[in-house]
Amino acid sequence: MDPIRDLLKDADPVRHETIAPADRERARRAVLAAAEHPHARPSSVGRRVVLAAAVTAIAGGAVAGGKRWLGATTVHAAAVRFEARLAETTPTLDLQPVRVAPDRTIYLHRDVIVTNDDVVAARVVPGNAPGRFAVAVTLTRSGGEKMRAATAAHIGRPLALLVDGVVVMAPTVRSAIAAEAVLSGDYTHEEAARIAEGMLVR
Amino acid sequence: MNGAPMAEALPAAMTDVAADRLARLFDRHYERLYRLARRLAPSADAARDLVQDAFLRAARSPNAIPHGARDEEAWLVRVLVNLQRDAWRKSAVRSRYAGSPHHVSTIGSVESAVVARATVWRALDALAPRRRAVVVLHELEGLDVRAIASLLGISGVTVRWHLSRGRRELAVRLGALKKE
Repeated sequence: MDPIRDLLKDADPVRHETIAPADRERARRAVLAAAEHPHARPSSVGRRVVLAAAVTAIAGGAVAGGKRWLGATTVHAAAVRFEARLAETTPTLDLQPVRVAPDRTIYLHRDVIVTNDDVVAARVVPGNAPGRFAVAVTLTRSGGEKMRAATAAHIGRPLALLVDGVVVMAPTVRSAIAAEAVLSGDYTHEEAARIAEGMLVR
Repeated sequence: MNGAPMAEALPAAMTDVAADRLARLFDRHYERLYRLARRLAPSADAARDLVQDAFLRAARSPNAIPHGARDEEAWLVRVLVNLQRDAWRKSAVRSRYAGSPHHVSTIGSVESAVVARATVWRALDALAPRRRAVVVLHELEGLDVRAIASLLGISGVTVRWHLSRGRRELAVRLGALKKE
């Protein structure tokens, strides 16, 4: 007799539960759908709620500097570091200045609101010009809550979205941003695909 | 929308053959993987998420999956255990139990068996994922040390160490229940 083993066997939920065919089928459909769209990470069993975008309020456009991969001819699944940080339009000593356009400098807060760990899906979407593409980023529930809390108190001031340490977007927050944002960085499809895929590499 | 259709530029877009293989992989291993996930995760919901995430990893990395039922299974099990480890690191499960090895002392004889089972399962929740996997595979799935080592890609010595430490941790946490 082994008391630990006996306790475990008695408590084993597999003995008392069954797999619901509907759950299995839902998972199967999600997995096979992912085979067709490997960039996207479908919500798990339909229970991870992907909140709709509140207002992304993109005021900034593409910013020069985030194009270090432009010369690449092959899309690699290399990790891309994604960060969202609050920013200001006026400097203080503890903020990091970043020139995002010839006539525009923003000042980054050091605290990071969300990172790759908070991204549940990243997909390529049409951009603002023919042949140009953007990356739509969907955050996890907790990531969305963090983003909402941070931006709700930051109306009228910039939010910086960074890829590999480079500010690629600096929109002015018009209202609290929930769980989705679009990096309209004016990318080629290949660049956008690389970013989308890289965001999901852990 | 202008520009190339999105599907054109998807890197390594899956061929029909790969999609068929993924479907076979799912059909062949889902039940076994779910059983393991249910024994590793704190809830049925978490187990379903865990299994789905493991297969999604397979969907995104079709070339990484070895061929052959046994190697496929080992690959999926390792992915599942690693995913659970990632989730565990982010959760507060560890802190919930840290420093409170005698939490089961409140379980009285009048409490139901359901409560006792939940207590046992919460004690398992406190084990590090790989250790929990070793304990589960040995105690509940009846695998020997060599099979566990092969499945998890670790040495037999490491398996024995996790088994010993895991059982000891459970014994401390379940001390009150063992006496009942």
